[in-house]
Amino acid sequence: MSSLLEKRYRLVLRMLPRSYRERREEEMVDTYLEEFDEDALDEVRPSLSEVASIAALAVRTRMGSAGAPARYAVAGATVRLFALLSILIHAGRLLTNNAITVAWMAGAPVEDRRMYLQSLDDFSLTGIIGSICQWVLPLGWVVAYAALARDRRRAARVAAIVAAVPFVWTIVDPRWFGGLSGFDIATTAFAWLTALAVCCGFHDDAPATRLPLAPPGLALMTVCVLMGLWNVSMTPSVDFAGPEVSIWCVAGLLWCVARARREVAALEPPLSLALALVGVAVLAERMSQIGLIMDGGGLGEEPMPVMWGQTALAVLLVGITGVSGALAARRVTREDPARETGSAVG
Amino acid sequence: MTQTAFFVLVALTDEPRHGYGILQEVDSLSEGRVQLRIGSLYGALDRLTEDELIELDREEAHQGRLRRYYRLTDEGEAALSEEAERMAEGARTATRRVAARRPAEGGRKRSAGGRRRPGLAGGGA
Repeated sequence: MSSLLEKRYRLVLRMLPRSYRERREEEMVDTYLEEFDEDALDEVRPSLSEVASIAALAVRTRMGSAGAPARYAVAGATVRLFALLSILIHAGRLLTNNAITVAWMAGAPVEDRRMYLQSLDDFSLTGIIGSICQWVLPLGWVVAYAALARDRRRAARVAAIVAAVPFVWTIVDPRWFGGLSGFDIATTAFAWLTALAVCCGFHDDAPATRLPLAPPGLALMTVCVLMGLWNVSMTPSVDFAGPEVSIWCVAGLLWCVARARREVAALEPPLSLALALVGVAVLAERMSQIGLIMDGGGLGEEPMPVMWGQTALAVLLVGITGVSGALAARRVTREDPARETGSAVG
Repeated sequence: MTQTAFFVLVALTDEPRHGYGILQEVDSLSEGRVQLRIGSLYGALDRLTEDELIELDREEAHQGRLRRYYRLTDEGEAALSEEAERMAEGARTATRRVAARRPAEGGRKRSAGGRRRPGLAGGGA
């Protein structure tokens, strides 16, 4: 008859994928219980550190670690590419916005500049925290991007979490109570999904992942230039989601061309799935912003036809990449039945 | 090579061991500094098996449960030997630099050169 500890430990092991448990559960239970005296088996519980180690193993296995079934290998590669592409967008947006702000400050009328600086002149505790959140912590996106380019995944995980913190501040800041918009929620969710994807996807056992088609520096520079061009061409409207949707549409169109030329076959299905996921996140921001404008929250100068046209193109591309990725993932999973059952150990 | 993988490979150098045997041996080898959890151990075993550095030796029934023994492969032995040599080279470099720093410290206070950190050829496991 199994002891209480064994039952509890088997419950913990249920965090692992079924295929993994079929291979390892009995062996892991034997290894774990060996440490305890017979008398203690009904009196102790699995420690938090043991539970944490199993949770980490469960995440690593689902993110395509060694010996994982094909569908988890696809899931892991998709999450890593999603993280990489999302961080590229966040870093590009941050650098572009900061550069535009500095450029504006340099040429702004004295009165406008004084008013802008006064907005930073808040030395209360919330004001200081808010300033740090606004100006310092978001630089974590750039650090995380550089770290991933050099495959420094531990640094990338920390930097991504640090960069996502200000989005929490956006929600908890008392000034926002009662006025939190769908756009704030969408941007916060996108930031934290990115940080989560970096933490889960880039574990120590994960394979190295690189951006397709372009070196990291060139990709970031291109994103910044395109975002800057969009911002400048759309002035005086304040289209917060526009640069991201534009970049994503360019990436989606590039993917269509590369796929037609069969240049990204080796990266499928994770690339198309990751693009589709980033597209959904970007579209959520865009739709929430349009909703805000419709409710009268805009500045009244938004080029709605351009925004709707851009949104329609993005929806179409999300559909194409998503369906293509889903079909390819199904094919890959079917073609690898041996790994799917996960029967072999040694 | 991670520290966990290194200690698992060292634990399997003398004889095939099962999961708990590896845990005990790693604890003993590291003098208690490395406390492997089950999740970490099996993550490392998966990776080392995939890389063909270890392989299944035999399976036994133990109190109605499965017990698997693992052994080091030739590739595992070569990888371990290479890693150990790299670490030893790093340790030799550190020892040399520390020894060279001592006489300089006796005659003068910290000079600009003395503040330089020694560069390890090797590094952590």
